[in-house]
Amino acid sequence: MSTAPTIDYEKIKGVHKIPLEELYTSGHRTCQGCESATTMRGFIKSAGSRTVVTGATGCMYVANTSYMTTPWIVPWMHTQLGAGGSSAVGMAAGLRALKRKGKIKDEKINVINFSGDLGAGDMGIGGISAALQSDYDLLIIMYDNESAANTDIQATGSTTYGAQTTFTPPGTKHSIMQRRWKKNVAGMLAVGHPTCRYVATACATFPPTDYLNKVRKALEIGGPTFIHTYDPCPKGWDYHPRYSNELGELGIKCGIYPLYEVVDGNVIYTWDARKSGKGRIPVKEFISKQG
Amino acid sequence: MIKRVEVNYRGIFQKNLGKKIGSDIVMIASRMGQKAFSNGRYSDSPERNGIPCKYFAFVSPDLAEEELEAECGAKLEIDEANISVVLDDTMCKGVEPWGWHGIRPINERVVKDGCLLVFSRKSHDELLKFIGKKPYSYRLAILDGDASLAGLWVNKDDLTHERTLGGIAAIDPSVISIEAVEAYLLEKTKDKRRADAARAAYESLRQEAKPPRVQTVTPNEGIDWMHEIPVLPKWFEMQEGAVVPAVKRGFEMGPRGQTRNPGFKRGTTKTQRPAVRFDLCTKCTLCWAECPDECFDPTTDGFYDIDYQYCVGCGKCAQVCPVKECIVMVDELRFEDDSSPWEHWKKDSQDYIQWVEDKKGKDRVSYPVVTGKGMTVTQGEVMPEGKIVPVRRTEEVEV
Amino acid sequence: MSVAIATAKSDQSDGVYEREDLLNGCQAVAQGVCLADVDVIAAYPIRPYTEVMDALSKLIADGKFDAEYIIADSEHSQFEIVKHASSVNARAFGGSSGTGWMYGMEALVVTATDRLPPLFVVGNRALDDPGAFGVEHNDAMAVRDMGWLLCWVTTPQEALEHVLIGYRIAEDKKVRMPMGLAMDGAFLTHSQHMVKIPSVEAAKKFLPQYDLAERRLHPDNPISVAPQANEDWVMEIRRQNWEAAKRARGVIKDAYKEFNDIFGDRYAAPYYFDEFMTDDAEVVLIGVGTVASPARTAVRRLREKGQKVGYVNLRWFRPFPTVELRDSLSRFKAVGVVDRDFAHGSPDNCGILMHEVRSCLYPAKNRPAIVNFMGGLGGRDLSIADAQKMYDITQQAAKNDSMDEFVTWIGLRE
Repeated sequence: MSTAPTIDYEKIKGVHKIPLEELYTSGHRTCQGCESATTMRGFIKSAGSRTVVTGATGCMYVANTSYMTTPWIVPWMHTQLGAGGSSAVGMAAGLRALKRKGKIKDEKINVINFSGDLGAGDMGIGGISAALQSDYDLLIIMYDNESAANTDIQATGSTTYGAQTTFTPPGTKHSIMQRRWKKNVAGMLAVGHPTCRYVATACATFPPTDYLNKVRKALEIGGPTFIHTYDPCPKGWDYHPRYSNELGELGIKCGIYPLYEVVDGNVIYTWDARKSGKGRIPVKEFISKQG
Repeated sequence: MIKRVEVNYRGIFQKNLGKKIGSDIVMIASRMGQKAFSNGRYSDSPERNGIPCKYFAFVSPDLAEEELEAECGAKLEIDEANISVVLDDTMCKGVEPWGWHGIRPINERVVKDGCLLVFSRKSHDELLKFIGKKPYSYRLAILDGDASLAGLWVNKDDLTHERTLGGIAAIDPSVISIEAVEAYLLEKTKDKRRADAARAAYESLRQEAKPPRVQTVTPNEGIDWMHEIPVLPKWFEMQEGAVVPAVKRGFEMGPRGQTRNPGFKRGTTKTQRPAVRFDLCTKCTLCWAECPDECFDPTTDGFYDIDYQYCVGCGKCAQVCPVKECIVMVDELRFEDDSSPWEHWKKDSQDYIQWVEDKKGKDRVSYPVVTGKGMTVTQGEVMPEGKIVPVRRTEEVEV
Repeated sequence: MSVAIATAKSDQSDGVYEREDLLNGCQAVAQGVCLADVDVIAAYPIRPYTEVMDALSKLIADGKFDAEYIIADSEHSQFEIVKHASSVNARAFGGSSGTGWMYGMEALVVTATDRLPPLFVVGNRALDDPGAFGVEHNDAMAVRDMGWLLCWVTTPQEALEHVLIGYRIAEDKKVRMPMGLAMDGAFLTHSQHMVKIPSVEAAKKFLPQYDLAERRLHPDNPISVAPQANEDWVMEIRRQNWEAAKRARGVIKDAYKEFNDIFGDRYAAPYYFDEFMTDDAEVVLIGVGTVASPARTAVRRLREKGQKVGYVNLRWFRPFPTVELRDSLSRFKAVGVVDRDFAHGSPDNCGILMHEVRSCLYPAKNRPAIVNFMGGLGGRDLSIADAQKMYDITQQAAKNDSMDEFVTWIGLRE
């Protein structure tokens, strides 16, 4: 459809081929062992320097930047909690117009937004849905730590059933206050948007390079794309920060968080818990490792 | 008269502990007929795991509550503290809670004849190797013990809270008296063990206690503070539209070859740092790939150096390292500086191995997954040079 | 002070106008957007401003205009799209009315604090509930303290021209603030007049290319915009924005002078407001928007009866022309402030404009008597007779400065 310039990405075959240079660098106010920081680090490593990024309000906005400093090497801008989709559309539209009118060089510039589960899955889902209906090249990454982690862990639409949060504390009368089932954001967005050719779920560290390649695939396929990442949160899930990667791995291996891609409507399981090793591990192994 | 107590604690891990100490000082001082209130440093919120934070309690025997509030409450940070409690001794290396704050000495707010009360296994002299000099004398008190690190939901009830109250009572009974502390704890918890813990801490800090745990620090004791305290720019010196220049792009192989955020280093977040045996390294890349703080610098010979200025000590690298004894988390206070371990190793590998084994010692602390559930200490071993012992297999997944 | 009605004098320059066309306020704005070579437009429907977007989409469909045209999913998204397009150095345009404007308020706030200069048209509309289409000014005025430029136009001709003037001021590097171009719903948005349309060349000559320069978001200019700030920073940032709003006053003057140089003497000093028959007036009314027409007509008729009355049409509401307006109004014995808005429970229960004008007059040595009128709410008309009534009351106030009824509702069934 479009003759717009593209960036040729190579598939990252193994951890030794991961680009060495950081474009999101040390000096961010994230928690020890923050998995979402790894998500940030990974997507921009994959995308490369010809990229503009917006970050919706949330943990990874407030934690990431501490005014007048920044950990970002690429251009980055804050956007409001519910504006993940629209910020990406705005930038993509602006860049396309400027290129068409010859006001800037005609080259591929990636537009990436990251929003948390509260921003992308709840408040901003309308804007993201609209963005996925557009014909702009943009990627929206929902980093899902299953809570409003910035404000000290409140339940969101992506919080799992039964979880303790500051909005859903156990009490003497009700031991379970979180009685909503986790929203299937990736699935919902995948089925409803014919223009969106690529939706994926991923985890920043497991399996290694899977997430990085999904980012590249999304950017290469073009048009509006969406990736839902699974980000264990030491603060909210209450585990020792050193186990961040393990918690992600366990969540995937027990089948609570399936990894898949939806490419042009076809669902491909990229890592099937049922077919790995001895099959799915008991969910208990995953849950018992959280506070 | 106002007595100000400051509690330095580790974000999230000690959030509930810090608040509890502040609250109980108010409760006890009030029962003693004093006016008191408590608050946290608001800008620490939202808190991050490990980042140095503060909680305060203010006590006055004679001021009206409103006056006390006006003197102490209308500020986000206090100017002086009569007692500065340090719930994790690694904060003695300085604290930097956010950008443009600079790494500040832990005793920055301690007044003349005031007291720095630290939970530590170290001696006074060992701690003073990290603490900045003051122009006047103050006291350094040590409550023997490890840092109590729990989580947001899991409470580690190891009596640190009660011991702190007892310690404060020993240092300055006019803030809270030990009798009032005991009476309060007994009444509130009906648990004599808690009152006893406060009393034991109190006794350990009394003048006649042996060995003496409170020592006067004279003006020439401590170190010359090497970290600059930034001067904030004026309004017309800042770029408009809340714009900040990005970190300058730059990467080359080798120590500190990656550009990093110069305005906010994160080193004071850590209680432990990864110590690396390069000779055991299989160059698997996992420490580098999984580091959420981008602290590892790839070197031309395939290793990964560490920029300790930015390492927050999360321990992920040690966790994912597939080789026994290759990366081990070691108490931060065993290290004097942040120099490059790889350069040291390259200069003299034998000397480095000996040095790093010396730092590692024999104790290996392993944590359960859930925070605050205690820890187990095992004995480590010295691996002969180049002896690679796999401890876990990383699952090979072809995507 | 001269007597100047913008539309009355226009024909001095040849060649700068391309043609004349019958356009309503919305269509005139669309023409202005087209001439400003806007890059990104985000649309979302709400009466009465929607027709601007209808007209723009048709212009694009007919190949007369080249811009990205995005149909947003809500006003919040619409304004965020505009804001972020502006951040990558694209000239961007949006707009709304009534509660739609309020729905996107969060985005409007950050557009100002990010100091980005897109232009938004506000087709003034009463706030719900109940749903009502008619004009009221509370919507646009809601951004008055946020760091916005805000001006009201009274004719389609002015509406078109103020798209160009608005971008010129907003994008000036001394300013860089979002621009709110307000016009009365129905009375202006849907009222058709003959409009002279500037030539592309003339528009281009007047309005330079948008250049956010060192603040544009592009891989060649790596910056971070709006990192999270603690209490060490916000006050300094507020001061910067305060200064920019102050500086805007000077830039507004420059922009009108430049406009006059190219298009003939279209606007008279002091530009921020127009005075009508005020030279020897003793009593004036002041208002914003289309109430100017009945008010000025009433002035003419009352003048015929020998009454010394005049009218002040306030064009620029933000920045507020404090000094100029104070100097002007303190010449009169009494001032009647016409509010097409409400501020329930505020001091003396006055309207918003009243508070602004009264506050502006406080330091004046010769303070005129001042009264307030609330009228035309929810789109009710303000007639010539209504205006005459307001002049009567203001003239009484001139004689007796301690009136019991400080606020008079005009056109209310009572």
